[in-house]
Amino acid sequence: MTYSVRSATVRFGSTVALDDVTVEVPGGSVVAVVGGDGAGKSTLLRALAGELALDAGTVETPPKQRLGYLPASSGSWAALTVTQNIDFVAGIYGLAGDELAARRAELLDRAALTPAAGRLAAQLSGGMRRKLGFIMAIVHRPALLILDEPTTGIDPVSRIDLWRLVSEAAASGTAVLMSTTYLDEAERAAHLVVLDSGRVLVQGSYDRVRASFAGVVTQTGRPVRADWAWRRGRVLHEYWPGGDSSTPANPPAGSTAVAPDLEDIVIALSLARRNTVPS
Amino acid sequence: MTGVLLRAARVTRRFGAFTAVDDVSMQVQPGEVVGLLGANGAGKTTLIRMLLGLIAVTSGRVDLLGGPPDRERRRRLGYVPQGLGLYGDLTVRENLSFSAGAYGTAVPVLPPALAPHADVLVRALPLGAQRQVAFLAALAHSPQVLVLDEPTSGVDALARAALWDTIRAQAEQGAGVLVTTHYMQEAQQCDRLLLMSGGRLVARGSEADIIGSTTAVAVRTEDWARAFAALNAAGAPVMLEGRAIRVADADPAGLAEVLRAAGIEASLQPVPATIEERMLMLSRQARAS
Amino acid sequence: MKAMIVKEFRELARDRRTLGMLIVMPLLLLVIFGYAANFYVSSLKTAVVGPQASQVTKMLPSFFDVTVTEPSGTQADAETLLRDNKVDVAFVTGQTPVLALVNGSNLFAAQSAVAALNKVGNQVKTQVLYNPDLKTSWVMVPAIIGLILTFIGTIITSIGMVREREAGTLEQLAVMPIKPSRVILGKIAPYFLVASVDMIIVTVLGILLFSVPFNGSPFAFALGAAIFLFVVLGLGVFISTISQTAGQAIQTAFFFLLPQILLSGMIFPLEAMAAGVRWIGYLLPLTYFTMISQGIMLRGAPIASLWLPFVVLTVMAVVVFTGATLRFRRDLAPGRPASPARGEQAAAEPVSTT
Repeated sequence: MTYSVRSATVRFGSTVALDDVTVEVPGGSVVAVVGGDGAGKSTLLRALAGELALDAGTVETPPKQRLGYLPASSGSWAALTVTQNIDFVAGIYGLAGDELAARRAELLDRAALTPAAGRLAAQLSGGMRRKLGFIMAIVHRPALLILDEPTTGIDPVSRIDLWRLVSEAAASGTAVLMSTTYLDEAERAAHLVVLDSGRVLVQGSYDRVRASFAGVVTQTGRPVRADWAWRRGRVLHEYWPGGDSSTPANPPAGSTAVAPDLEDIVIALSLARRNTVPS
Repeated sequence: MTGVLLRAARVTRRFGAFTAVDDVSMQVQPGEVVGLLGANGAGKTTLIRMLLGLIAVTSGRVDLLGGPPDRERRRRLGYVPQGLGLYGDLTVRENLSFSAGAYGTAVPVLPPALAPHADVLVRALPLGAQRQVAFLAALAHSPQVLVLDEPTSGVDALARAALWDTIRAQAEQGAGVLVTTHYMQEAQQCDRLLLMSGGRLVARGSEADIIGSTTAVAVRTEDWARAFAALNAAGAPVMLEGRAIRVADADPAGLAEVLRAAGIEASLQPVPATIEERMLMLSRQARAS
Repeated sequence: MKAMIVKEFRELARDRRTLGMLIVMPLLLLVIFGYAANFYVSSLKTAVVGPQASQVTKMLPSFFDVTVTEPSGTQADAETLLRDNKVDVAFVTGQTPVLALVNGSNLFAAQSAVAALNKVGNQVKTQVLYNPDLKTSWVMVPAIIGLILTFIGTIITSIGMVREREAGTLEQLAVMPIKPSRVILGKIAPYFLVASVDMIIVTVLGILLFSVPFNGSPFAFALGAAIFLFVVLGLGVFISTISQTAGQAIQTAFFFLLPQILLSGMIFPLEAMAAGVRWIGYLLPLTYFTMISQGIMLRGAPIASLWLPFVVLTVMAVVVFTGATLRFRRDLAPGRPASPARGEQAAAEPVSTT
């Protein structure tokens, strides 16, 4: 079952949070949404969760009973223990008795949280708390799982753990939509979507995104055009869109081109949009 | 300004029976950006708090600009904590005028990116802009040492690059910068890295030095879904990348056995580990002991 | 240091609720104490029954405002009038000395009446009903029961709800298959229970420690208390929907609580307040619950005679709760939910094995 938003537009007052966005989330794969503040990531996720009304377009989403959601904030109740948190959520979804106990034990084991089962959520580290939020979101085996920046600010070890949990979910058929600021996670996803100011800059598998990227990225110590350059480590990269744009489109002879990675592509496309859209 | 800006010499900190930092020695020189890496509980925060003079050392010595980190020396230090240390209910301008007043300097001029937001409440700004304001406040008094705790957490690629521009500019003007980060791709932005685990400094140097000879295993197979499930069920720290499988484990033999038992054909190959994988293996070792 | 002072001033200037408290509250207190604080009752509602009713009426000083004259009325009728709180004093004529029955549950009115009657001398025999020793505690305890319920209901509920918003877990509740009304009811249930237990304890203790009587029907009392609880809990929920932090919630709840202490007739009698301020008292729920608790405990009044406070409280409960639920629903489900995908039926969906 594929879930989606199609040609979705969402306005908050005079701000357009999503502008004619189409994203599909097929069952069994992970779709990663990347983008800065105000790009529309959270809005897209909330739209797919059925939390928002669209001003235009359609949403195909499962009923609440089959939906799992992990918001960008805590995801768990601080004054309850790990076990109590799971029990509360499981209860709302209709799990009880032995079935609940078995499911809980299974999830705690998978998230390596069993030794912390009796601890208050407020006393967990950031990474453990996120893992708790994650298993709470899948306790009822949802068909669609939506995760809002699940790994932001989390330590690297917990991040690997969380990615493993996400992979597991996808591998067993759940459709997973997650937003992230970490590009290495986006590279790992089956399908990635880059949002900027409410519009889709590019989407597809990492290979397809790379293949469809037009233009050249050069490496330099001093950029020719300051607003087309950005820092990578000790050097700067500069983007030359090529084609028939009005600004100098091709790098000067003798400049060093680099093979662009996802970070280069995302930044280059954002700059292109920023610099060609009339302000 | 010559001389070491920030130094820890065989610093140890104990809390009762628990040793949070164990015999750590490090330094930050002018003009360099040093990255401090480590999982949760590795001791990074405790080390930083000792360097800043917020808590005392149990043994060893800490030097900030050549002496103990007292209030006078901290005047030449800039610190941006994870929580940013800004007042959400004040505007950008008001926040900057507060920190300028506290340090006794002039209010910094807003860069073009922030100028339109001068009178916006900080809590109404997007995270990237908030971090820029926090930087501005910490840099207003031209500090010689900068300590930044996860300066780009939660921020997108473009804004992250802009923040690193600011950091690099400070280093080029002679400041020494100590940065902690959870995002290993950022490690490339640093001149030198320090990796902490279990309170000790386990590796230092470039990214290659940090990884050392640690290897992970790449599994190539047609039957990727079943392979993933089998390895996962066996408790291996396995990760999916699209359709490729990586296991943060140095020994392919045990993994090959699991796959063979499950009747899956696959080729296993040792590959250089990522920093995250190194950290994962370190923490697993620590947990096992 | 100057920077610190300037910063604090700026933050205060933005914090409208605190500013409100710092500026408006003292003004409010001044006005209230100026116009409402008055222990002196200027006139008493009086009934005169019995054969010499009209004569006695003419003889009474203007302090006694005769509203009921019933020549054919008996002492029992007089007592009923007092029980139903229709009058503060009832004279029973047709015997010597004339019997003056005073409603002891209106403390200040009763004190004024007794003082005036003592001056009259042997012609009148004074009997104070319901609170013969004119004890303050007997009048205060029923009022304090209401105050405690108000306190728990408003302050604690408002914090409880705001906690979700502060923690960010409100969003999660919005996405789960649970109805907003269920969330509210589920959240106030513990406070309802705690408040009920508290009320029973205070009532029992009041009776034991101060010998406060309980002359009326416990069922009527419980009913009144339950309706009142719904009002104050609903107020708590409402406050939580207009507060972003627990601090704000407490401030707002306090704003609602303070007038009720001062203007509900608990401390200063309503009749003694200047009319310009008295109407505020009639808007407050605690005023009506105090009528119920004092009526039932001290006078044994039946529900029928207390129909006004019962009805008013019920209307308040409905209005407040509906308002609170609508606002809360807006928080939980800000948009029309998108319709489920075509072909999506929960039962037919293949179960994923995560």
